[in-house]
Parts: sequence; structure tokens; C-alpha cells
Amino acid sequence: MLSLFKYGVILSFFFSLVFLSISVLKTFSFGKKTYNAQPRGDWKKGVLYAFGKGLMPWEKESAKKHLPTYVAGIFYHGGIFTSFFYLLSLIFPFRLNTLIIFLVRLLISLGFLGGLGLFLKRIFHVPLRKISCPDDFASNLIVNIFLAFALICTFTWTLIPFFYLIAILMFFYIPLGKIRHCFFFFYIRILFGLFYGRRGVLPKNNITLET
Amino acid sequence: MDKKNYSKDPFEEKIDGLKPEDNKKILQVFRSKIDNQYAAHLISCLHCGLCADSCHYYLATKDVRSLPSYKLSLVEKVFKKYFTLPGKKASAWFGAKGLSKDMVRSWVDSLFGRCTLCGRCSLNCSIGLNIAYLIRTARTSLAAVGLVPPGLQSTVSTAIEKGNNMGIPREDWIETVEWLEEELQREVDDPQAELPLDKKNTRLFYTVNPREPKFFPLSILAVGKIFYAAGESWTFSRDNYDVTNYGLYSGDDEASGLLSDRLNKSMETLGAQTLVLAECGHGFNSNRWEAPEWLNKKYGFKVKSILQVVAEYIKEGRIKLDPFLNTKPVTLHDPCNLVRLGGIVEEQRYILKHAVGRFIEMYPNREKNFCCGGGGGQLAMTRFADRRLEAGKIKADQIKETGAKIVATPCHNCIDQLMELNKHYKLGVEIKTVCEIVADALIV
Repeated sequence: MLSLFKYGVILSFFFSLVFLSISVLKTFSFGKKTYNAQPRGDWKKGVLYAFGKGLMPWEKESAKKHLPTYVAGIFYHGGIFTSFFYLLSLIFPFRLNTLIIFLVRLLISLGFLGGLGLFLKRIFHVPLRKISCPDDFASNLIVNIFLAFALICTFTWTLIPFFYLIAILMFFYIPLGKIRHCFFFFYIRILFGLFYGRRGVLPKNNITLET
Repeated sequence: MDKKNYSKDPFEEKIDGLKPEDNKKILQVFRSKIDNQYAAHLISCLHCGLCADSCHYYLATKDVRSLPSYKLSLVEKVFKKYFTLPGKKASAWFGAKGLSKDMVRSWVDSLFGRCTLCGRCSLNCSIGLNIAYLIRTARTSLAAVGLVPPGLQSTVSTAIEKGNNMGIPREDWIETVEWLEEELQREVDDPQAELPLDKKNTRLFYTVNPREPKFFPLSILAVGKIFYAAGESWTFSRDNYDVTNYGLYSGDDEASGLLSDRLNKSMETLGAQTLVLAECGHGFNSNRWEAPEWLNKKYGFKVKSILQVVAEYIKEGRIKLDPFLNTKPVTLHDPCNLVRLGGIVEEQRYILKHAVGRFIEMYPNREKNFCCGGGGGQLAMTRFADRRLEAGKIKADQIKETGAKIVATPCHNCIDQLMELNKHYKLGVEIKTVCEIVADALIV
């Protein structure tokens, strides 16, 4: 029975991967953006900035002004990646020593708290609630449940089938709702770097007065 | 939007009279303007709301309809409803919505009336969505059925029909240039000093904002004086001199292309090497970055801002400046289209540091600077004037904090808005272009 769930997780993961790839390819059915204007800055520097310094809170006013949300987001995503790692350790069994298990528990706990905080913010912060649709709440909830089960399973294996089940559900849901940003984030950041890099806006040392 | 205020408004009646074929056209144009990048952006908003504080409209009003993510969601809802499978099948769940008259009304109110297309939200977006350009795409769709607010539309129409957005007759333009040439000769005490018109094969072809000949001729004189001091080979055009392109704001790509193509054709006719754009933020973005896309062609010449040219003069020692001729403290307002969207970030600073005795940065600045509130066609859309002034408070506060007596800004659109803010918020400052300040410091 357990191995059936395992296969379910693997299958749903690949379903997610395939459909996310299709979603990216589908964007190209809308026509490809043209670049006729001569670039001023280096787009590669822009893309590097987008994935590095450009994500730091001191570079982004929205993060700097909302540090608790930024930190909650960092913990949340850290917890998610750790849960994936833990899921992987169960699907393709490999041994985690006590230190690793301690770190896994710590990161997933912080991630769960971060996710819960963001969920509560979406409920109680009026402007945020007004721009939210059911998918925003559902996506957060599914991931929070996934984290909760991951954490519980580090203590007891009795709930592992439920952990697999929620993982399957989550993987099937990813391409449909906003969790797809786990994939699209990278696409959008590349476009961000391309736009500001070509125009010589970012990073700050992209161009000199002679350019 | 308060429906009562607009109940007898012809523009509102136009929305009420929308037919199903108009909706179809809006969607057709919307679909045709979406490329792979926009499609990716439109399904990637996290609705985290962290963009809120980046928008001067939201900061000044705290109205959720001014929240960038809300504005984007209006476009996103329609996109999801018609162009994504989950949106088609489970609209309410995924926040998808059809293009009803109410939705069109919301588009007009929020996308035209609560946005200057300044792009500050994009920079602060958690993942980096190009919100301003997505909003412009929706404006493009509205423009296709004539739903551009009247003041903005008439600015575009005047530019198309009369050759410039102020409707200045050709002979008035030529007379103004000739009069300014005499002024220049007097000022530099050289009867050979000139403001050339239609001179062939020069190094530079210089364009102006029609507000200059109409209201601020001294800014033309200032640039003429700088070119004279640098010994530059340059020319104006008798016919195509308008650097502005309000099609960028109305969203009408066809009109935008037509207007920018005039400068492109003048470059070919005059045989100049570089197209130099006057101090005009949206004119720079339009002609430097967007025009080659609207016209779908690569330019065979360079396009530069006058700031780049002046910075080069200073660097190469072609002009000499005495900063002590400008003793009042000066601050700088960065026009969004020139800086955040245009990439001209350091030139104006380099120039001012050589041209004034005391330069004070406002905070935040450069690409992070707040919009003055005059962009996005807001100055032309009188129906949203109160909001524009209210949203301008953020800029007024920024200026106040510097304690400067002069606000320099390389954009005539910004100048108009800053002059209104100066009066409305009693700032007690002078507003000048960068070249006017340079001309005051020039040693001829």
C-alpha cells in the first residue's frame, strides 16, 4: 500500500513537471517579444542581479518595509524545500543522521510558522484579503498542511501515507493555481533582469557614462 | 468609481453603449498585444500586496483600487477568463472574470485614472512582474474601441493631425526659432551663432517638447547656448521636431508608431548621425526603447538623451561650467520614463555636480524615485486631476525634505506637474530643466 502511495507521489510530481513545462511553452503561443532597440546595458548582468542582489531586502523597498513578511516568506520557502528534501529521503530511502533530522525539523517548523503567518495575514489584512481569490487561500493551506505532515512524520512514521497523499494532491494542484510560481518565478526573474539589464537601469554598475 | 458623477458624462455613456462586438474587439486586440512575456506575467502574480507602498496613488489615498496588485488583477482576471483553462472552467476559484461593462469601467477608472505607468511597482514586485507594461496593454485594448479618456485622446489626435501635440502652426515654430536665434546671438555676442533648421548631414538632430516653443522658449535657448559653446554640428527640423509621444500613454500602438516614425524619417532626410531627444521622460522611453518595437525595425542611427550629450561635453572639456554661478541649493527629480524605464541614471547627476554649487539628492532617488504624478497621461486627463494632485503629495514631501530651492528635472511633463505641486503644496521652489541650469553656469 505504501509503495502505491510512493508511486503516486512520483507520478504526480512528473505530472506537475510536464504541465508546468507545457504552461511555459504555451506562453510562446502568444507570440515572441521582439528586441529591436539597441541595448544600452548588459542583459546578463541584469539577470545575475535579478537572482542575486536584486532579491535582498536592502535592494527592494517592498521587502525592507515589510521585513516580518519577507522573513516569513524566506522561512516558508526554506521549509518547503526542506520538506521536499525530506519527502525525497522517504521515497528513495536514505538515512538522515540526528543532526540533519534536527535541522530538518527546525527548518520545517519555521516554514510552517511562516506559512501560517502569511495565511493569517491574508485573512486579517483587509487590502490583502480584497486582492485575494479562493486559490490564494487554498494554495497556502495545501502547502501548510504538507509542511505540517512533513514535520509530524519526522517524529512518527504512522502518518506517512497521509503525508504522501497531501504531496500527491499538492503536485496535482501546482500547475493549476498560484503555486505554479515555484516554476514561473525563475522565468519572471529572467525577464526582469533582461528588461532592466538591457536598458542599463540595473545593476547600478551596468553602464558607465561612456556607454 | 462614483457613478453619479459620471451619469451624464459622454465618456461614461460611451461605456454604457458598448456592444458585444466592441467587447470582442477589446479582447481581440488584448490577445494580439500579449506576447510570451506578458502571458507569463499575467499568470504569475502572487497577490502578496507588497507592491502597495511602492505606488504613490496607494500611499496617498490608501484606496485598495490604487494598489498595483489590484490594478493588475483587473487585467489578470480577464486574461484568465478567456485565455487559461483553469480560469475558463473554475472562474470564481481562480479569480477570473469576464469583460462586462463594469469591468471596462473599472479598467478605465483604475488603469487610466490611478496609474502613471511609472513602473515603481514592478521594481518592488516580489517576483518582478512588469505591471506598468501590462496595464498599458489593457489601455491599448481600450484605445481600440475609442475608450481613451478625452483629454489624452485629443493630445494624441492633435499630434497626428497638426504635427505636434500643442498644435503649433509650422510658421509659428519657425518664427520662434528665428527669434530665439537673435536672442542667442545677443547673449553670446556673436552674430554667427545659430539655431539651424533643416541643416543637412549634421552630427546631431535635436528634437524638443512642443511645450518649449509654446510656454518655455528659454529652455530651447539654453540648449542652443550649450551647442554653441560646444561648437556642435546640429539641427532642428522645420516639420518634425516633437519629441513627445502620448500614444505611449493612450496605449495606441498605431499612433505611437506613426508619431515616432516622423523623427525616424527626418533622420533619414536630414542625414544626421544621432537623434538627440530633449528633456522629456516619456519622449525618451518612446523614441529610444519603444519605437523600434512599434515600427518593428532596427534603427541605423544612435538615439540619445540630451543629458548624455551634455555629460559628454563636460567630460571631454568641450564646455566649461562655473558652479558658483548657481548658488541656490538644487535637488533633482528623476523622471520615471527616463530613469527607471530609460536607463539614464547618472548623467544628470554628473552634469549637476559640475553645474551647481550645492546639489542635494532627494530620497529615494534614481530608479527608486517616486513618480511626480504627472506621467501616464495624467496631466492631459482632467477628469482625474484631483487624484493626480493628491497622489503628488508623496513627491511634494520628498522635495520639502531636501530643503532645496531649485528642483531640476529633465522632463517637461514632470515640470508641469511639479509646478502645480509647488503651488498646491506651497513648496516655494523654482522648477528648472537640467539644461537651463547648465546654461546659467556656462562660461562662453
